[in-house]
Amino acid sequence: MGPYDSAISTGSTTSSPSSAAKPSEIDGLLAGAGYKVRSTELHQVAQRLERLETVMVNAPSEISQLASDVLHCNPSDIASWVDSMLFEFNPPVSIPSDLSDFSDLTYIDSVVSPAINQTVCNNSWVEHHTPQQQQQELTHQLTVVTAMEEDSGIRLVHMMMTCAESVQRGDLPMAGSLIEEMQALLTRVNTGCGIGKVARYFIDALNRRVFTPQAPCATGWSNENEILYHHFYEACPYLKFAHFTANQAILEAFDGHDCVHVVDFNLMHGLQWPALIQALALRPGGPPLLRLTGIGPPSPDGRDSLREIGLRLAELARSVNVRFAFRGVAASRLEDVKPWMLQVSPKEAVAINSIMQLHRLLGSGPTRVSAIETVLGWIRSLNPKIVTVVEQEANHNQSEFLDRFTEALYYYSTMFDSLEACSLQPEKAVAEIYIQKEICNVLCCEGSARVERHEPLAKWRNRLGAAGFRPLNLGSNAFKQASMLLTLFSAEGYCVEEHDGCLTLGWHSRPLIAASAWQPLLDTVINHNNLL
Amino acid sequence: MAGSNEVNLSESKRVVPLNTWILISNFKLAYNLLRRPDGTFNRHLAEFLDRKVPANANPVEGVFSFDVIIDRSTSLLSRIYRPATGEEALPSIMELEKPVTGDIVPVILFFHGGSFAHSSANSAIYDTLCRRLVGICKAVVVSVNYRRAPESPYPCAYDDGWAALKWVNSRPWLKSEEDSKVHIYMVGDSSGGNIVHNVALKAVESGIEVLGNILLNPMFGGQERTESEKRLDGKYFVTIQDRDWYWRAFLPEGEDRDHAACNPFGPNGKSLVGMKFPKSLVVVAGLDLVQDWQLAYVEGLKKAGQEVKHLYLDKATIGFYLLPNNDHFYTVMDEISDFMLKMISWERLAMETNAKIGLF
Repeated sequence: MGPYDSAISTGSTTSSPSSAAKPSEIDGLLAGAGYKVRSTELHQVAQRLERLETVMVNAPSEISQLASDVLHCNPSDIASWVDSMLFEFNPPVSIPSDLSDFSDLTYIDSVVSPAINQTVCNNSWVEHHTPQQQQQELTHQLTVVTAMEEDSGIRLVHMMMTCAESVQRGDLPMAGSLIEEMQALLTRVNTGCGIGKVARYFIDALNRRVFTPQAPCATGWSNENEILYHHFYEACPYLKFAHFTANQAILEAFDGHDCVHVVDFNLMHGLQWPALIQALALRPGGPPLLRLTGIGPPSPDGRDSLREIGLRLAELARSVNVRFAFRGVAASRLEDVKPWMLQVSPKEAVAINSIMQLHRLLGSGPTRVSAIETVLGWIRSLNPKIVTVVEQEANHNQSEFLDRFTEALYYYSTMFDSLEACSLQPEKAVAEIYIQKEICNVLCCEGSARVERHEPLAKWRNRLGAAGFRPLNLGSNAFKQASMLLTLFSAEGYCVEEHDGCLTLGWHSRPLIAASAWQPLLDTVINHNNLL
Repeated sequence: MAGSNEVNLSESKRVVPLNTWILISNFKLAYNLLRRPDGTFNRHLAEFLDRKVPANANPVEGVFSFDVIIDRSTSLLSRIYRPATGEEALPSIMELEKPVTGDIVPVILFFHGGSFAHSSANSAIYDTLCRRLVGICKAVVVSVNYRRAPESPYPCAYDDGWAALKWVNSRPWLKSEEDSKVHIYMVGDSSGGNIVHNVALKAVESGIEVLGNILLNPMFGGQERTESEKRLDGKYFVTIQDRDWYWRAFLPEGEDRDHAACNPFGPNGKSLVGMKFPKSLVVVAGLDLVQDWQLAYVEGLKKAGQEVKHLYLDKATIGFYLLPNNDHFYTVMDEISDFMLKMISWERLAMETNAKIGLF
């Protein structure tokens, strides 16, 4: 069989070997190029492209300016992209260009103009994935491999993989002796950076798993975790990107609403919210009444730390004339929160904000009802305008230890590599501890103790789709501002990418964190889909 | 002019399959939005619109890929594509750079197109093309993510190509077993083809052996307006105006299109007479408006005594090699495969001869 499709025709072909194209199938060749067009719609899409060209020919000098100002959505869906362009260019009116000059953009003062034409792409067709596409979506993504000059580095990796394999087989004596050998080898390797540093942390994790399996590492939320989180926030742009992107989407979803309510699944120090409060303050027409419900762990020492954060945010809101109310909900685990605790009023526009929290719900005992399904269920029942979800873009929830180990090695190598670019101390050093704790949890813990159950965006898409949510597109505005944020504040090497309505931030072409936005489907639509 | 536009649109639709037409028209219109009249480029929107795919260490249809940094100072990345041997389900981090097996293993240094301004090594269309090349040529493919105009004009793309060539040439794991050398071929389309030529020049000067150059619709030009440019302007997705814009974006300030980078056999070109230049395969699409310059390139090579095979595809437009739904695609893939096989046979013969006369 040749390496390319065997079907030769002057018409369109799908990549599946079966001959007849079903009405709902997307053109396989265009899919391979990253575009989704239904086979039955090729002619219509071609016509629209022709129309767009004619329109563009009539307004030649303004096009590029118009293009900068327009909100673009999901370029994979050619039909709706062309339609949105047609809408913008015809009739040719000048669009307010307050988005065009970013020379004095600072993070806190970012002014986000709500999108007037937020085009959400209609994904109601049934997507027919070829096995190849499914595999590509669920397979490993690789980190960037730097040329490994050191032989010792290569030996370490080899030994770590062998050790992980022994652990999986249950051969602890072998694993133990390998760990001792590796620790000896570590003394001859530069563990301050590169493969040596990564190896140090992974060997440490293996060490804990093999020798102290009962209490490998501290888990769960705590005061210390907040400090680590804050340093991770400062040292690299992943969390800033998460907050920034989610805020942008929330702001757009709140457009036109006077009473808005944000539910934050993990308040921490409330770092995300000053920017949103300021953006709402500057909203044309005036700010809405903003309620913020922050969920977080109970404070160990009797302080009400949630309330303290709430008070600080309230002060900020007062200083910019935003009517603001805060409520803290203390819970050790997200699945312990009940929707009535959030006191959502039917008159308000609700935004649910989950920054790296949903994956914690994926562990489940044999008799427990799935926590993730429960939580997604009550999120739906609150009928939010938007659910912003940011998750690590990694496959760290596989049951086989060796698979998890391999994935984690790739993922965290890339993350450590990106951290090399940071020069802030002690932020960088403490950020490493934050990452180390995550690694420990992924590799050393099992059952309910293992909360870092990261899954890739493709899996979250399926999960959220099955739970009755549809994706909202994070458009070109968010993309452009995220890119600009990176060039202003971060080292070269970070990259923002758009994938089918979602944004990812990565290091050297490996996405590490993915942001997406969702909205519950109406029940009638779900029933219809279930019948198909 | 509106009348002739309508004629143009239906003309191009007649010569390519519908999905190809949609793909290339979509690019064309999107690219129109990105080029600003003042010569600047809307890079943010370009990156947003570009469909990208990640590398994939899991073999898909017999090919796996991974990214490497070749030069940290310029963030020069390349994506490496290798055939899966079938043994390992998921290559571990060591297997990625496992030595190639085979007495002669061709390594293709690939430069994607995009008129020096568009696309990346991880653009979906080029990821797909490189994967195909692995199967067709039984080669390892290294796709270079070179810096682009207008932010990084001449000679950045050439410098990056040269850096990548040196890197490939010095990888122990890419050496063929027969002679412990890396067997390098360079392949590029559009601007990538232009880069292939210019990197080959550097290779010849520096003594790195490149065994073959394969140029698909290479991007060349000149000050003069040629007959094909005038005849085909705007008819098949490409206009003289957009070609001019890209040359202005790439060439140094103040230079015109007779600069050697654009017009290698023009008034400022360098003579290749007597040089040990790689054997070349140049593919020209009959509906590409810059074909006169591509033909001039072929003539230039011939006049300098260099070996070149010229493949002219009558009714092909730009980008015909992106989707496997037309005869030209298969013709070209067969030609590339033949070219490589022939080269490998010559290499084997040369090695045997050298061995016989004790030169090995």
